[in-house]
Amino acid sequence: MNTARQMLLACTLALSLPGLAAAAAAPGSAAPDFALAARDGGKVRLADLKGQVVMINFWATWCGPCRQEMPLLAQLNTKYEPLGFTLLGVNVEPDSAAAVSWLKGMPVTFPILFDTDSAVAGSFGVEGMPSTVFVDRKGQVRYIHRGYKPGDEAKYADMIRSLVKE
Amino acid sequence: MYKAIRLVLLLSLTAGATGCANVEPWVKPYERQYFADIVMSAERDPVAAAYLNHVFEAREGARGATGSHGGGCGCN
Repeated sequence: MNTARQMLLACTLALSLPGLAAAAAAPGSAAPDFALAARDGGKVRLADLKGQVVMINFWATWCGPCRQEMPLLAQLNTKYEPLGFTLLGVNVEPDSAAAVSWLKGMPVTFPILFDTDSAVAGSFGVEGMPSTVFVDRKGQVRYIHRGYKPGDEAKYADMIRSLVKE
Repeated sequence: MYKAIRLVLLLSLTAGATGCANVEPWVKPYERQYFADIVMSAERDPVAAAYLNHVFEAREGARGATGSHGGGCGCN
């Protein structure tokens, strides 16, 4: 019986390990660094933005709420940019042509990055679309917002204000 | 012999109990564009499919619940 109990323990451990390994960015942990190609050419690296409050928005053109919040995000960016705030829009589509053509009609001035192989979305463990990650001035993930419904932009603004003050 | 059976039972039980805990959607939320791929559609050609559904309904003497339009009221 003792060996059976040991076997049970070993099996439980072995089978639960993959679940533990899949743990992604969580509030309080350091934000996984990335460097992605931007819409205006060039590259944006998260580590270079240390000292700024960074809001990372994962979006796609096939995602309705993402399209809905895009103009509001642009407003947030222009409002809080002077306080040491950067908004990064990470497009998760394998083909970024749709995003480029859709953005032509949008008043978006913040950097749009192309995560064509979904590596960054994977490293942040994006669990819904859109997902918005708030990174503080020390490079720590502070808050992850899943989805968007009208009114959520007020939550975004509250979060930005509290992080900018730190 | 009993010991072996018990071990196998125990192993399968543990596998069953813990394996389910890690099942997630295989397509991640940020990969959902793959659902819109043409290979994901059950009917590639809607016109041909509608015709075949019509033939099927005529042959079976019943309609509805095949994905074609009409609610099964017999009035269309």
